[in-house]
Amino acid sequence: MKGGMARRMVRLYPRAWRDRYGEEFVAMLEEHPVSIRDFLDVAFAVLDAWLRPQVASERRMVMVERVRGSVLLVLWAWAFLVVAGVGFRKMTEYEDFVRAARDNAAVGVAFYAVVLGAVLALAAVVVGGTPVAFAALRKALAEGRKGVPLLFCVPPLCLAGFVGYALVLVRVVYPALGHTAVHDPVNVALFLSLVGAFLLAALASAWAVSAAVRRSEVGRRPLRFALYSATVAAFAMAVVLVGTAVWGLALRAQAPALYAGNDGLLSMPTYATWLAIVVVMAASTAVALGATVRGLRALRTENSVERPAS
Amino acid sequence: MEGKVSKLGRFSDPALFILVSLADGEKHGYAMMEDIERTCGIRLGPGTLYGALARLEKRRLVEPLVSDERRRRPYRLTASGASALEGRLRDLEGLARAGLGRLATA
Repeated sequence: MKGGMARRMVRLYPRAWRDRYGEEFVAMLEEHPVSIRDFLDVAFAVLDAWLRPQVASERRMVMVERVRGSVLLVLWAWAFLVVAGVGFRKMTEYEDFVRAARDNAAVGVAFYAVVLGAVLALAAVVVGGTPVAFAALRKALAEGRKGVPLLFCVPPLCLAGFVGYALVLVRVVYPALGHTAVHDPVNVALFLSLVGAFLLAALASAWAVSAAVRRSEVGRRPLRFALYSATVAAFAMAVVLVGTAVWGLALRAQAPALYAGNDGLLSMPTYATWLAIVVVMAASTAVALGATVRGLRALRTENSVERPAS
Repeated sequence: MEGKVSKLGRFSDPALFILVSLADGEKHGYAMMEDIERTCGIRLGPGTLYGALARLEKRRLVEPLVSDERRRRPYRLTASGASALEGRLRDLEGLARAGLGRLATA
């Protein structure tokens, strides 16, 4: 059948049906010769589609996909923020920074705002992600698909691998090296390998969870809940960003020698390390907030789509 | 579970053919139509095929797969679809056995 005729026939169907099956139905009509009997068959099917609608709107499906994409994007943004946050925590563990936070109110308050935001973001990710992971796992197990449960095993395995590697460094490698300078090339190389291991574990975990959720059919309710949690996580990330930015500015104002010194990661200038951390956090937070807005818009549109008759 | 297929009204037979067609793997609409004609000897019209497919999808007995090519979207059986198909085929097997037994003793 010619494409024009096939499209004219599809136009007879209800909008929701066309949105859902139109393209593939036209493709099928185009692929084989259509007899008079087929015309009549389609006519009866059109009548049936109007009298007993079966199709949830494709638009609704697209919106659900958009919500899922937004949630996963927030997860990725959070993973990058965690990497930057660990860098911030590593830098500020030195005695000079601890003293600066204790002696200067602004530095101290900003530091605790970072900690509070980080804890809140972690809690939001865990609380929002658990029902989604549970729904995806249940569906995968019901269908006998082993790939999804295996993907969910990646984050705990990555965590175990990272902790194991860190323990080997602390308990075996460093004692074997004896007393060496903090910024000895071997120490620096081992530290960089630890950073690399953490980065790899964080990104592999985010990838595995994203892949598992994308391959699973997760219902609207857990996705909607995850989106609200992702919104909280995005705001918590903003708190972390603002706290980190204020911490650096307060340090510059109240402890300028420390700010101008070389107490950053790997003896880099403090301000350069702080600036790099802020840039990564700002990019992550912007992505998370943008994804959240997009997801909430999709959710609002999805809620406004009329439910099809059952 | 088996009632899920038989409750599809005039679409129950086409639905059964679709489930049988998808039992050995995913297929798109036209491939299903050809497979049903080859294995069941019945040619489903395009409207009937998609009418039954929509009902099966709504009842989560089949599901579409994510495909870059929306014009040839493949479908596959879900776990409950496979279970419903097995139940319906067992019913038909019992019916066939009973019918053949009665014919033999008539």
